[in-house]
Parts: sequence; structure tokens; C-alpha cells
Amino acid sequence: MLSNITTMRPDNEIEVPVSLSMDPYTGTWGQEEAAHLLRRTLFGPTFQQIQDTVALGMNDAVDQLMTLVPTDPPLTYSADEEVATFGQTWINSVYPADPLATENARRGSLAAWIIERLNKREYSIQEKICLFWQNHFAAEYTFDSRATYNYHELIRTHALGNFKQFVKDITIDPCMLVFLSGAANNQFSPNENYARELLELYTVGKGPQIGPGDYTNYKEYDIQEAAKILTGWTVNGFLSDVETTTTAVFQPVLHDTTTKTLSEHFDFAEITANGQNEYADLIDVIFLENEVATFICKKIYRWFVNYDLTQIVEDTIITEMANTFITNNYEVLPVLSQLFKSEHFYDVSLRGTIIKNPLEYLFSMMNSTVSTPTYNFDENYELYLFAYNGAGLLGMDYAQPPSVGGWTAYYQAPAYSRLWANSSFIKLRFDISDLLTLAGGLSVGGNNWEVNHIDFLDGLSNPSSAPDVIDDMVTVFCPKGLDAFKKLTLKAILTNGLPDFEWTIQYNEYLADPTNPVYVDPVKLRVALTLSQLYKMPEFQAI
Amino acid sequence: MKRRSFVKNVSFASVGVPFVFNNMQFEAISKKLFTVPKAFEDRVLVIIRLNGGNDGLNTVVPINEYDNLMIQRSNIILPETSLIPIAGDNGLHPVMTGMADMFNNGHLSIIQNVGYPEQNRSHFRSMDIWTTGMMDPSITTGWLGRNFTVDHPDYPDGYPNIDFPDPFAISMGYDVSATCQGLLSNFSHTVVNPFDATNLPNNAVTNDGTYYGDHMEYLAGIISQTNQYGAQISNAANAGNTLSSLYDPLNPLAEQLKNVALMISGGLQTKVYILNVNGYDTHDNQVLETDTTQGTHANLMKRVSDAVHAFQDDLIQLGLEKRVVGMTFSEFGRQIASNASVGTDHGDAAPLFLFGDCLNQSIYGPNPVVPDTVVNQAGLPMQIDFRDVYASILRFWFGVEETTVNSLFEHTVTYHNIIGGCELSVDELNKIENTSFIYPNPAETQTTLKIDGSGGMVHIEVVDLKGSRVKFVYEGILAKVTHHIPIELDGIEKGTYRIIIRKESGTESIQLLKV
Repeated sequence: MLSNITTMRPDNEIEVPVSLSMDPYTGTWGQEEAAHLLRRTLFGPTFQQIQDTVALGMNDAVDQLMTLVPTDPPLTYSADEEVATFGQTWINSVYPADPLATENARRGSLAAWIIERLNKREYSIQEKICLFWQNHFAAEYTFDSRATYNYHELIRTHALGNFKQFVKDITIDPCMLVFLSGAANNQFSPNENYARELLELYTVGKGPQIGPGDYTNYKEYDIQEAAKILTGWTVNGFLSDVETTTTAVFQPVLHDTTTKTLSEHFDFAEITANGQNEYADLIDVIFLENEVATFICKKIYRWFVNYDLTQIVEDTIITEMANTFITNNYEVLPVLSQLFKSEHFYDVSLRGTIIKNPLEYLFSMMNSTVSTPTYNFDENYELYLFAYNGAGLLGMDYAQPPSVGGWTAYYQAPAYSRLWANSSFIKLRFDISDLLTLAGGLSVGGNNWEVNHIDFLDGLSNPSSAPDVIDDMVTVFCPKGLDAFKKLTLKAILTNGLPDFEWTIQYNEYLADPTNPVYVDPVKLRVALTLSQLYKMPEFQAI
Repeated sequence: MKRRSFVKNVSFASVGVPFVFNNMQFEAISKKLFTVPKAFEDRVLVIIRLNGGNDGLNTVVPINEYDNLMIQRSNIILPETSLIPIAGDNGLHPVMTGMADMFNNGHLSIIQNVGYPEQNRSHFRSMDIWTTGMMDPSITTGWLGRNFTVDHPDYPDGYPNIDFPDPFAISMGYDVSATCQGLLSNFSHTVVNPFDATNLPNNAVTNDGTYYGDHMEYLAGIISQTNQYGAQISNAANAGNTLSSLYDPLNPLAEQLKNVALMISGGLQTKVYILNVNGYDTHDNQVLETDTTQGTHANLMKRVSDAVHAFQDDLIQLGLEKRVVGMTFSEFGRQIASNASVGTDHGDAAPLFLFGDCLNQSIYGPNPVVPDTVVNQAGLPMQIDFRDVYASILRFWFGVEETTVNSLFEHTVTYHNIIGGCELSVDELNKIENTSFIYPNPAETQTTLKIDGSGGMVHIEVVDLKGSRVKFVYEGILAKVTHHIPIELDGIEKGTYRIIIRKESGTESIQLLKV
């Protein structure tokens, strides 16, 4: 066993002592630790959620967070939908003969629904882990939104479940069969697109190239053989005006029934003809390699802990996580649970190590200020769609990763999450935060959705005290606090440069007459100005 | 690795007054006369990335192998009669009329079968190899970033500054380019709209020595840099011109190249512009089954060909064609045989395009050899190493010393004499001197003369085509640095003029178009 404490060096420069223990964390459990856990598992915790987490204690908080929440399906909101009823779901509705307008309406509904999910502020890791898997199995939406929805639901079902079964199911998921050409892969002309990514990106991962076509964990030859094993699957029902859903169909005549032999990297495993179960035999063989666990645990680590995966972390933390994964027969939940209860995870040197992705960025503003649009569901959907497109402008279209490898910020060394904040994006971020705080928010057809300044303020520990308001804002929004000078600057904005008691008077006047614009509007404006400044500080950009 | 001097740097103002509110960050570079320390500083490289792996055999088609291509890829092959014949028994994709025109005018070169040994067919790994210029997977710096690091090891600390007010590289769009990754930071500055000046609140931070502290310093730095570079970029775009009527407003690459032309003609001293076209991973439906000259790949190649053609036309009309060279690259070619999905899978080598007026124009390397039987997964073997193309551009276009270029790569560099149409062959390299030029040109109300002073007397005036003086500009001694002298054009009628520079060593004349 290696020494329990080591130094890690960001950019190979700065030495930071870091605990390398996966033992349960037993240190202080206060607002900072609770907020750290929530920033990594939710999209923007509220002040109340942080207080609840402190009260629950680490173990109970993690256990509750690691629970999935039931969902309702997306609803028909647009007049362009020609089959499903307004207000009802379309996920099992056929298409009209000319499907284009209806499909556009469904795609919009799905996008809005995904954003609505993020905005629900449920006390569950669900949405964060779903986005993780969307980044891992980075299939784009297909031209039939029923298939896209089913793919998304497959992710949701397996998000904390058995990863081996997850890979099996996703291999013959209609959306994936279309995305990576599996539906075009047949014995007469194998298409190796899916086979390659199955090995390179989904399971064992690619190691160093150690010979021609040999990537340590698999060979080009294995891709060729795997492609043959996976032949025969086609899809049915896409854009159908008869079928109410899309399905994967195994066509024996298209399947290559020869015996396939993998390379020495899979102990020359032979896969004999097994028809529509043969793909599962392949995946069973792949999962005999411990590299699967290591590869996935590294991705989990980069997503939830830190981009910098040093050798010492690989030798200690990743090894322990992978052992947990294998010991638990590839169940995801025990791995995450162990991580979020570990000493390593709460090490102060590993807080604020991730720059927010666009969805984390948007919802750290909206969710943390308990802001939800309050119109009819279809009007809310329009606003959610606006937010979806806003995240897209910032570089993250949910259900539309830029490539099969997912978003570059999760694999491109050495910049990683800094790629979310280059000169173009940082400007856009500031424009958007000003819009959400000061300029009325997102606006569709006269309906607005902005940061909820008043409810946010009312939910803090002591809203009538200006210093307490600033402290609570820092607790909610800044992973490692804010220096005294900046806090004073923010307080000066909140109090409009007046003594603190003036804020107290102003707030109490509002409390006494909480619907009177004469008292509400000035309080709201002070909070808006303060948050708009805070949202442009570098400290707000990290989680 | 050099320890970065974080705390000292005043631009991040980490100690004492850690918070700057707004509008204090940008001090315009008003000084017109400043030093440019290095020869070749006016040359620009434009890189267009064809992301996803371009199918070279349907881009530059070896007509001599047509029968074998029919055996390999009958479902996607372009009809022989549709190809645009160019030299060397090659035919371009029928949509590439613009590039064919450039080829016939000497403005396009093709390098055949470019790749690297032991091709890696992963998009990600192969793109890393192409952007780093290294086979060693532990290297994360880009090939251009390493070159910039040679002269600017502390970047971004202390940049921009009076000597280097402009970004070293600009990546059009929202993503920095991995080719420009340096040791400490990425040298490319992203630009979406060059007219949109930035005015972000500067916000100093203290680096506490953790990952978080490092992020905070990065963010404070990028905000400050965005403001300063943004102002320079907007000034250049506003001062710049574009004259070609060939840019298609519906072609996003053309619109981006038009902005590049604006920034170059407006005097921005950025050396590298990087653009990106997605969609080349054509596993399925690469062509329309009913007409293989149409479909996804045809649309992509038309977009590139039309845009580059318009850009070159613009550069010529602007009189900037001697300052710009471009290249395309893609992470790999595709397999020789097509698949049953009317597409192609990941392969190996592929052709690479160079464009510009200063090329030693040619088709480099033999045509690809296409076997007469289908071998599963076979790609085209590489014949020219892409790293040697990079090295040759650094050496012959940017004038980087040979020993420096060699030190940037892990392999033994073989130089190819691909640049030289502007008297820039190897033998000429050491004779190059800076000549004066004006920007923007054509110009409406003002242009700027860039001139290297010799320490001696200089007389500068603007004359019409008959030789009569229409404007006096300057008389006096110019110190031995590079000067940027503004010339007001108000009151001068539209038309062609010459700027006459009389010095002790002789007289120079530069054509100016007033519009």
C-alpha cells in the first residue's frame, strides 16, 4: 500500500498535498463539504438543500442522492404535432404520412423535457449521471424522437445499475443501431463503426499503439471480428405511420454465422454462432478484461472529481474503484457511493477543480435561486427550449454531443474543462448571466424566466443582514469561498454603498408589505446587481 | 518545465487590490511606431481542418486507377466523365470547380498520400497525432504551439503587450485549436464575430496553488486577454476590406474566411488562422445512391472548394496574395473499399491541399495505388509524412531556423520544397529582407504604411499614375525599427495611386487602390 498522503501537481507545477485514501471520510461535515457533494451530484444546489445535507450527515445524504426518481414522459406542446393530443405524450404515437413537422415538434418537446428534468431540483444524482452516460455513449438524437427518447430512458434505467447489462442493451438499442451504423452491418459487407467504438470508447478503451493495428487492449483485427459478431441487427418502425414504437430486429439471413476468434488480448476467445444472442456473448468476453473497470472508473473520476489523473491516483484511487466495480459485478452504484463517501473526494485540494459545463453553469443560476417558469406547461416548454438552445450556444447541446467521443472538455488534454471557458464562451457566459439577472431573463412570447432573486433571498439564513446574505451567497455559489475584499465589494453593491443597517431597514420594510412594488423592487434590484457581479467572477465558474 | 511566474504578474494583480471593476482593463495601443523583432512576421498561415476523416479517393481521384476503384467502391464511385481532369492523371470531385480553377492558375498544390507510420484509426488518437505533430502520446502541445513557445515561453503571462498586441493565432468559432496548445496555455484566440468587441469585467484572483487556484488564474487571464485582443480584432475588422463577390453568404466556411480576409487586410498581425469543417466521418450515405456526385461528401467538398476559391480571389484583389498560404488536413483518409451503407470506414493516408500564390505549385508524390482485389479494412499506405509538411511550412513560410524546426519534432525531418513561388526557396531564405507594404489596401479613408527604417533619411509621398504628387506623407530619419505610418486619404479621389518611398538605398513604389 502506497503512502496515504501524496502531492499532486496541476500542470506539473504546483505541489498540493492530497489524501489518497478511499476510506470513509470522517472529518468536518459542514456547509462547505455538503455543498461540495451537491455541486458534483446536482445541477446547482439550493441553500436549503445544503442545510438539509448538513443535517442528514454524509452517509444518509449520499444514500439519498444515489436513489433514482420516477419520471413522467415528455408532452405534446406544439400545434405542429399532428397525431398525439395536446398535453398528452407522443412517445407511443405513430407519425403522419409527412412526418417532418411532427418530428420537429417531438424533438422540441424532448429537448424542453430534458431541461425541465434538470430544473426539477430533485435530491438525486439522476440528471448528473444521465448526462455522464450521454457523454459516454455519445449517440446523437435520431430522426425519430421516439427512438431518441427510448435511448435516453435506457440510460436512465441503467444509470446506477449494472454496466455490463447496460452495454448489452445499448448495443441493440435502435437509436444506437442507427447512430453507429449497426443497422447497416451485415455479413455481406460488415460495417465496423459500432465495433470500433464499443472497444475504443465504451468498454476496454484504447491503450498505447504497440504494433501495427494493435492498441494494447485490442487490435484492428478484433474490430473486424466484433463487427461480424454484431451483424444481422436492423431497425424497424422509424417514422412509421403504423408502428407505435421503434424496435431492433434480428435478421438471421444478414448474420455472419462463422466462428469468430478474437486476438490474444481476449485470450483468443472463440465466439460461435449464437444468432440473436451472439452480441451478448461478445460483451461477456469483453467484460472478462479488467481494463473495462479501469477505463470506466477513470471516466467517472474525471467527471466527478478531477481532470488530472496522475499515475499515483491511478495506482491508488482508480485501482480501488475498479476493484469495487469488479467485486460488485459491474454495478455502478457501489462505485459512486464509495467515491462520494471517501476521504479523497472531500480533500480540500480537490474542490473547485472543474469548470462548470454549460448546463451546470445555467442551472447553478436558475436552480440555486429556486427559479422555475410558472406558466402553462406548453409555455414553460418554450422557455425550456430557449434554455436548451442557450446551453447549445455555450457548447453543450444535450442529446447532440459534437462527436462519438462526447464533449471535448471531458477528454482533451491538457485543457479539459477549461475548454468551456475560452474567449468566445466566456463572453457569451457573461452576456447570458446579465440577461438572466438584470435584463428580464429568457423571454418567449411575453413570458419571462429569470433568476428568482426574491425567493432566493427569502430562503437564506438571515436575509435582513447584509453580511449574512453575502456569506450565504458565497456558500451557494463559490466552491472555495471568496476573499474578504470581494465580499466587501459584493456587500457594497447589495447595500448600495450604505451602512448595513440601511439594508436591514429596506428588507424589513419589504417583509412588512411583501407585495408592494415600492418595497419589493428595490430589494430585488440590489440582489440582481449583486448576483450579476458574482456571476462574472472567476470563482463562480468552478464547482 | 519553466515555473510560471504567477504572482509577480501585474496584469493579474494578485496582491493588494484584487478586484478591478470594469473598463479599466483596456489601454489602446495608440503608439503607431513599434518594433517587430523578426523577419517573416507578415506571413499568414490559414489551416482548414476537415474533421472526421476525409475520403481522399473521392476527392482527388486517380483516373489511372479508375478500373480498380470500380472494383473497390462501385456504389460510391464518381462517374469518370464527371471528374474535373487536372494534371498527373488526376480528377477532382465535380463540385470542386473553384479549386480546379485555382489549380489551373497555380494557386493550389496537392500532396498525395499524406499520413504517418502505423496509422491509428481512432478519430481521437489520430487527431491528437495530427494536432501535436507527434506520435508520442504523452505530448499534449500542438505543433504550432511548440513553435510559438520557442520565442514566447512565458505566454500568456504578459501578453498581449506593446510588441505583440495581436493574438498569435485565431481559431474561428467557439473552440481553441489543439494545434496551438503551448506548454502553459493555448496560443489560439477564439473569434466568432470580429466586429463584436468585448468588454468583460476584469477580475483579479489569487492562485492558492491548487487546481482550483490554477483555474482561477486561467479565468482571470482569459478575461483580461479577451478584452485586449478583442479590441485589436475589432479595430482590424473595422479597418479591413474585402472585395471578392464570390463569397456565398450561405456557406459558413466562406463567411469565416471572409472575416479572416478582413482581419488580415485590416492590419492584424496574427500569424495563424484555423477553421473547421465537421461532417467528414461518412460511414453511411456518403453519396446519393441515385447520383454519386451528390450527397453529404459532395456538399462538404463544395463548401470547402467554393470558400477557398473566394478567399484566394479576395486576397488577389486586395493585393495580399503574397502574404497568405493555406492548407487543409484531416485525421485520416478512408478505406479503399466502400461499405454496403454507401459509405466508407476509417482508413489511412489521404491527399492534403495547399493553397496560395507563393507555392511551388505541383502535385507531390505519386498517385495512390489501388489494388484490383478487395482486402478487408485496407487503407492507402502513407508516402509523405504529414510532420514533414508541417516542418516545411515552418521552415520555408515562417522562416524558422532549421535547427529549431528539427527540435520541434521527434522524427528526422525531411524537407519538401513546397513553398517558393515568391522567391522563398531554401537558397533564398537568408537573403530575405522586409519590404514595405500598406494596409488596408484597397482603402477608403486611411491606410497605414509599414516600413523598416534604416536609420537614414526617407521621403514618402503619394502620387497618381502620371507621377504627380497628391499627398505628402513624411520626410525625415526613420530609426532602425519597423514603423507603421498612417496615411490619410480624405480628399483623394477614388482610383489607383502609388506610394513612393525614396531612401538612400533607392526608391520603392507600392500600388494603392483608393475605393
